[in-house]
Amino acid sequence: MTSRILVVDDDTALAEMIGIVLRTEGFDTVFCADGAAAVDVWRAERPDLVLLDLMLPGVDGIEICTRIRAESGVPIIMLTARTDTADVVRGLESGADDYIVKPFNPKELVARIRTRLRPTAEPAGETLRIGDLTVDVSAHEVRRGDEVIALTPLEFELLVALASKPQHVFSREMLLEQVWGYHYKADTRLVNVHVQRLRAKVELDPDNPRIVTTVRGVGYRAGAVV
Amino acid sequence: MSSVHAPRRVSARLRDWRSWPRDAAYAWRRSLRFRTVLLALGLSALAVLAAFVFMALAIQNDLFQSRLEQVLDDAARTTQAAQATLDSAEVGGDLVAVDNLLVNVSTVARQGATEMTAALRSDPASPLAPQGFTTGGLTEDYLSEGLRTSVQAGNELQWWQSVALPDGDGGTVPGIVVGQQLQVPEAGSYELYFGYDLADASQTLSFVQVTLWIVGAALVLLIGAISWVVLRSVTIPIAEAAETSERLAHGDLGVRLEVRGDDELATLARSFNAMADSIQSQIKDLADLSLVQQRFVSDVSHELRTPLTTIRLASDMLNDRRDAFDPATARAAELLHAQVQRFEVLLTDLLEISRYDAGSVQLEIEPTSMAQLAEDVIASMQQLADQHGSDVRLIAPGGYSPVEMDPRRVRRVVRNLLGNAIEHGEGRPIVVTVDSDQHAVALGVRDYGLGMTAADSERVFDRFWRADPSRTRTIGGTGLGLSIALGDARLHGGTLAVWSALGRGTHFVLTIPRHGSELNGASPIPADPGDDAAFDTLGLTQPIEIPPADRREKR
Repeated sequence: MTSRILVVDDDTALAEMIGIVLRTEGFDTVFCADGAAAVDVWRAERPDLVLLDLMLPGVDGIEICTRIRAESGVPIIMLTARTDTADVVRGLESGADDYIVKPFNPKELVARIRTRLRPTAEPAGETLRIGDLTVDVSAHEVRRGDEVIALTPLEFELLVALASKPQHVFSREMLLEQVWGYHYKADTRLVNVHVQRLRAKVELDPDNPRIVTTVRGVGYRAGAVV
Repeated sequence: MSSVHAPRRVSARLRDWRSWPRDAAYAWRRSLRFRTVLLALGLSALAVLAAFVFMALAIQNDLFQSRLEQVLDDAARTTQAAQATLDSAEVGGDLVAVDNLLVNVSTVARQGATEMTAALRSDPASPLAPQGFTTGGLTEDYLSEGLRTSVQAGNELQWWQSVALPDGDGGTVPGIVVGQQLQVPEAGSYELYFGYDLADASQTLSFVQVTLWIVGAALVLLIGAISWVVLRSVTIPIAEAAETSERLAHGDLGVRLEVRGDDELATLARSFNAMADSIQSQIKDLADLSLVQQRFVSDVSHELRTPLTTIRLASDMLNDRRDAFDPATARAAELLHAQVQRFEVLLTDLLEISRYDAGSVQLEIEPTSMAQLAEDVIASMQQLADQHGSDVRLIAPGGYSPVEMDPRRVRRVVRNLLGNAIEHGEGRPIVVTVDSDQHAVALGVRDYGLGMTAADSERVFDRFWRADPSRTRTIGGTGLGLSIALGDARLHGGTLAVWSALGRGTHFVLTIPRHGSELNGASPIPADPGDDAAFDTLGLTQPIEIPPADRREKR
């Protein structure tokens, strides 16, 4: 199945070049150069992944990210020229799964996209327990009792990674490798921000987490099954 | 002003008397008020002393003169009475009558104002004349030769002299002796002396003097106190101004002096406030400018990076397919690819530098083990080290416990230092040292390459500086690496020190203070490695012989 990728970037030359790279790699591409129209294009095209420039005329990337997240868990990768703390963190907090800093090389871009698009290994029928949650891996579903909690694929993957080894303490680097596919030192803020987003959805009291607990100085681990 | 500079307890100050001269000298130097009050005290004491000494002398003189007049009067009157008694007497050569006369004279003389009288025979040889008499202890011993000669010679004249008279208790009191000739019929001339003590006058004088000194001392103290109080009204505003300037100097730009009245101090306060306003507005302008610059840097970053990304993607794509091109085009694609990468690194470094310049860099602090970080960096650069034949060794006696730092920046610094060491290490071993103490954690990178001269090692942190431009760079560097590394170290409140010696290699030491600590120059790893004896045990060091012709800088 050919994955369809929406490239939202006002720089048409870059968008076209990204298109060339992606099509060479066998992806289908859709473009949008206008921030204001991006959400509509996304609704119309229903792409498998969104490449989103953070700085756009009209509505900026963070706003678009927030609006898309409100409706869907589609993987979003931000393109940013800024490595300044505030911008990247705001982007991640608004729901982007990952970010790539300009200038990037084609291999990096493709690797990031493939990681986000890869089908999660699904041992059929497996059900995990974490805290008071039930995670149905094959159905991509997390439940607290009868209530289904909606997670993005990335958050789901993060939760599964933790739940599959309940005794294990995951360092941020391990999670970056397992969930984001980074094999080298990467930005640990990715983990921090997404753990916060995940907690906001699954914890009864996000300030006093019981599902994803912090092991100070080391990383995170799954909360005890209750 | 002891109250300002020496808050020590008074008892301690008293005990510590040896430091008084030093304290006083300090106060003299530091305190306007202390100095002025001391000067006022000294000068007024001098003036009071002079005035009072003059007054005391005048009073003394006046007292003496009036007493003198009084006693001369008294003596003259008494002498006159005695002479009258003598003149009216008829003796007729009767020795007994002459004796009686003298007794009469003594009685008359005792009617004067003093008990001390004496009548002495001027011509001891005269056979008729009886002995004189002395009363009240006025013996011949108290009468000087000079006085007696004058009285004997000075017919009918009064003579006087200041002498010390017996006070009756074996001591003496100041006194005046007045003498005059007395003619005793048939017995020749006698000298009649009266001794007047000045005890009363002297008592009055000493009372007046004591009063004068007390008043003088009180006056001096009063002047001191007045100048202290008056100076307070001057020095307090000055001290306030000094304190305010200090706060201003420390960056508290909002502080102003209170303007009271219209005098010189108010003028000072107004000028100070005007200066502070001007400084504040200029600093605000600079801050605005800096903000503009930051925004500009950010904009440039975005504007340049987007087209660069396109170029990068295109060049990568062309480079990947260069096998399909003819050799010239293939080489062109290759060159394009390599140079775009170089351009990108340069741009990244430049933007980083301008961020430092704009002061817009923020650290992302997390507890990190320096030893582990060093191990990671060494592992990641192992391949490069192998290519250059350098053996990188880690010696980490300390630095394992996590210290607050921005690991990404520190990693970049270490990578940069290690890269330099590999490039300049001449294939000799490279020693990375990590150590810590209670204040700081430090990382040293030592190579045993050619080293640099002292002059060159001072310039290694300069932007785009290369000691030997002709030297080919094997590891792509922008010439900004050490400059950025230094910026990173400073951002952590730390230091990046360099030691280098021709033929012995180079040693860079990065020192980062622990959270809440401040570096006071000392690092757990000294930049100067000393005589290399410690490393010799590793079999690493052999000084490199540099031929004289090649002795110029190689780094």
